[in-house]
Amino acid sequence: MTDIILALLSGLVGGIVIALLPQASNRLRNTLVLLFSVAGAVFSWRVAGTVFSGGTIRLSGEIAGLAWSLQPDPLGTVFGLIVATLWLFATVYSFGYMADEPRQRTYYAFLLIAFSVALGVAFSGSLLSLYLFYELLTFATYPLVIHERNDEAIRAGVKYIAYSLCGAGAILIAIVVTHGWAGSLDFAGGPLLARGGLRPGLGWLLGLYVAGFGVKAAIMPLHRWLPEAMIAPTPISALLHAVAVVYSGVYGILRVVYSVFGHELMAQMNFSRALPWVAGFTILAGVIIATQQDVLKRRLAYHTISQLSYILLGAFTLHPWGLAGAIFHMISYSTLKITLFFGAGIVAKQTTKIRVSDMGGVGWQLPWTMASFGVASLGMIGMLPLNTFWSKYYLMRGSVAGGKWPFALVLIISGFINALCFLPTVVAAFTGDRDQLSREKGGNVTLMVAPTVLLAGIAVLLGLWPGLVWPGVEAVVNSFFIR
Amino acid sequence: MTAAIRANLPVFAVIAPLFVAFVLPTFARRTRLVEGLVIFVQAVGLWGTAYLARLVLAQGGLPIIYEVGGWSAPWGIELVVGNLGAFFLLVVAGVSLPVAIYASGNLAKEVEGARRRAWFYVLYLLLGGALAGMSITNDLFNVFVLVEVATLSCCGLVSASQEPSGAEAAFNYLILATLGSGMILGGIGFLYIVTGHLNMGFAARALATVWQDYPHVVWMAISFFMVGFGVKAAFFPLHIWLPDAHSVAPSPASAVLSGLAVKGYIICLMKVLFHVVGPELMQVFSLNRLLVLLGMVAILIGSILALGQDELKRRLAFSTVAQIGYIFLGMGLLNVKGMTGALFHIASHGIIKSALFLAAGAVITQTGKERVSELAGVGKKMPITMGVFTIASLGLVGIPLFSGFVGKWYMLLGSLGAGDYLAAAVIVAGSVLCAGYLFPVIRVAYFEPAPADDWQEPGVRQRLALILLAMGIFVLGTIPGPLLELALAAATDFLVFN
Amino acid sequence: MRILLSKLLINYPYMASVVLFIIGASTVLTRSNLFKKLIGINIMESAIFLMFIAAGNTRGGAVPILDQANPGASYINPIPSALMLTGIVVSVSVTAFALALIVRLYDSYGTTNARRIAEMRNGVADR
Repeated sequence: MTDIILALLSGLVGGIVIALLPQASNRLRNTLVLLFSVAGAVFSWRVAGTVFSGGTIRLSGEIAGLAWSLQPDPLGTVFGLIVATLWLFATVYSFGYMADEPRQRTYYAFLLIAFSVALGVAFSGSLLSLYLFYELLTFATYPLVIHERNDEAIRAGVKYIAYSLCGAGAILIAIVVTHGWAGSLDFAGGPLLARGGLRPGLGWLLGLYVAGFGVKAAIMPLHRWLPEAMIAPTPISALLHAVAVVYSGVYGILRVVYSVFGHELMAQMNFSRALPWVAGFTILAGVIIATQQDVLKRRLAYHTISQLSYILLGAFTLHPWGLAGAIFHMISYSTLKITLFFGAGIVAKQTTKIRVSDMGGVGWQLPWTMASFGVASLGMIGMLPLNTFWSKYYLMRGSVAGGKWPFALVLIISGFINALCFLPTVVAAFTGDRDQLSREKGGNVTLMVAPTVLLAGIAVLLGLWPGLVWPGVEAVVNSFFIR
Repeated sequence: MTAAIRANLPVFAVIAPLFVAFVLPTFARRTRLVEGLVIFVQAVGLWGTAYLARLVLAQGGLPIIYEVGGWSAPWGIELVVGNLGAFFLLVVAGVSLPVAIYASGNLAKEVEGARRRAWFYVLYLLLGGALAGMSITNDLFNVFVLVEVATLSCCGLVSASQEPSGAEAAFNYLILATLGSGMILGGIGFLYIVTGHLNMGFAARALATVWQDYPHVVWMAISFFMVGFGVKAAFFPLHIWLPDAHSVAPSPASAVLSGLAVKGYIICLMKVLFHVVGPELMQVFSLNRLLVLLGMVAILIGSILALGQDELKRRLAFSTVAQIGYIFLGMGLLNVKGMTGALFHIASHGIIKSALFLAAGAVITQTGKERVSELAGVGKKMPITMGVFTIASLGLVGIPLFSGFVGKWYMLLGSLGAGDYLAAAVIVAGSVLCAGYLFPVIRVAYFEPAPADDWQEPGVRQRLALILLAMGIFVLGTIPGPLLELALAAATDFLVFN
Repeated sequence: MRILLSKLLINYPYMASVVLFIIGASTVLTRSNLFKKLIGINIMESAIFLMFIAAGNTRGGAVPILDQANPGASYINPIPSALMLTGIVVSVSVTAFALALIVRLYDSYGTTNARRIAEMRNGVADR
């Protein structure tokens, strides 16, 4: 019980402490930031320990007559662990990347506050608290998006807020309708709408939810804010726009499918048959657009759009194997994508090259970075020694077993296009003159390279021993399919 | 002695501020005494209304009926402190106390001369007394008199600004508001001719039996009431006077005008429509559809017009037009949830808009900048003021944990309960637009580099008032408790027992 | 038609008040001279006063003071008249206030024409 409160508070308190600290030295501030992030991560792991060993943690109360609750179930815990673990890596990377940037106080304060809010999304036990944290996440991350404070950043910020608020509005209406039909918003008692069975308007409700959460999950055509938001500093792009913020949208959709509607009800609805097609379209369209982008971060952004729909596709198969693939992909994709972004950030910082076409020979200057980048690229294709192989395997198995075999084909085609998307870059990076000066020297660079290499290592490790995370995936699937 | 006060508490709620208002001019030059007395009477008023509200809640919603002068109902004037009366009394007292505290600190910078400031407080208290009276009176003609007192003091407050445009705004406001008063008086006349009663309860009973004989007269009466109160409450499209008047007034005046005064007229209109005319008759005349439709238009147009304003106080004034639209929309849904939402929105918008206007006023008096685009970096120089502004903005947008969410939640429940999906969409769209016109202010204030000017936080009293209001927004959003209970009970009274 | 006409003729005070109301309201809304606006308001209010008084009137009714010698007499209804006393007081105070504002406007702008004042103010705002 205290673990969850402390996990949620450590980021918030840390953020306030950092904000109130007048222009302190970088060293002191970084130490404090690290301290609070580690505290948040440790407490999240303790929460996870309790949940996966079969315990229940529940905090509940009323806001203005509406019941809210915090009750991490396996799905929420997995999301929380991804957030808490990767936040640490991104924080360390930030120490290197942001070392000589202005406005560090604002940056770290909101980074910590956003950490709390993201954990809040993960640990929510009811739609109301999920909505609250989901909405707050928009505001907590807004200052990070406009960190550059130039016109382009401001415009990206406006777009981000506008898209997110419209999505949240759709969700609010949907929640009110759900409240009217189900009488409760708490996830603990099984799928909310399952008891009512089929009724007219259910398809519209699902559409509202998917459109609402789909904004943050960047389902096409609601994805436009994401490439613009890449104006943010790289750690933010890596952490928020490849993982935490976009995952909150994906997580919301998973919740809606499995905790609000329930897979049995979804299977009876006509509308839910259309959803895998939307996801399949986004997978292919996203990655094809990605290959056309020359600016590396934009390419990665469109690639994110494509990969998020892998997870959604797995969820929409409504089959245990599909869901297992989706959860596995949530874990494995996030490690790889952060590696890719970190690599892109190091290249940009050390060589000022942001375009793919300029990156010939970069690999000899930044061997560790580009090696990790190469490993992650292989992962995006779904090669065996990497963790995404397993997630793709389960996704395909789920599609076929769920009677939706065309989507297995989509995944295979997407794998090929992924290869086209990243491999040429990696190959080009390791051509040309080998005897170049290494640019990976110095404390700040080490702070950036170390987390990158470590994450690539974790990805390989999970690829070789998927059993490390399998119990978590299994727990999620069991919690929804075996009742 | 205390027993006598307790027994006469309803009438004291009205006459205490009026009495102090009449006494104030005699020592107009002693500013400290004037301010102290105003704050004292407001604080006592808050205590008294809280006591009354507790009494009403303890009685399970049974109204406290007070017969003025001992004359009983059809002949004498009745004051009824029911759920609605207690609710609005609490809102009036709760908002006007912090505003009075703020005024005592900030007015010296906005209105010149001790005597003028004393007259400002006279008008302020007259408005408070009139609003208190409007919330509990049960007599139609009494409504007219109190509405007139409120209107004249509102116009006076607007003209307290020294700028010549203040006099112009006040004159336009006065002319339109008097037109509205004439309409209201005409409506009362028609109702009196048809029913022979001025007491709302008796008039309602008589109307229920005779309206079919005089449908046109009743129709005329209702239209007169709608237009009359609509002008005063700035109901779209009768809002044209509001942006000028509310943006030019001194900031404490803007706060009570936008936060409370327009709500007082809405409460009176609610009483006439729901207590006298009754929901069934409203449906016969399709009034509910009209209210929902115009409410939706008000939300959208008001918000869009607010988007285009660069002057901060004008932006807030247009926002009031939009938020009034919410209240009328909630009224028109004709179900308990929607009505509760509308009533709660009256309370939450009262607090939020006062906080916004006071924060804007503090920024303007401290920096001299009136335009949003000139406020770069204010947030760093005046963290408390802009912090309160931010909290109030979040509240107005309707983020959970802040009071605006509760009202909107109930209105959404109500509109979906009535099967009106378009209204639900407009309520949400209004929130998004509201973010559209408030967040740029916050962004400019916090995330743009501050100029070298030495801008200071306002004085202690202004900060105290702002913090009190911000706390109110937060408390109403998390534990609205008795206020929500009263709103719910009042909505039930309106719709179920008639 | 004849019935309608006779009804209108019998209720001529109401007709007069309707006509006065329309004259008053249209003066307020169409005239740009501030004094004329104010006069329009006053005409409109007298229309409503007239309507109330007419409603309280009983043809051949006596002053409503109870006359013991004549128990069967009909009285006029005193309530509307009493109310209109209050109404007149309100109207007078509105007029006084509006006149004070007109004086202030004339001091600042040198005119009592609403349209000219608006133009001058916008000119100031543009500058």
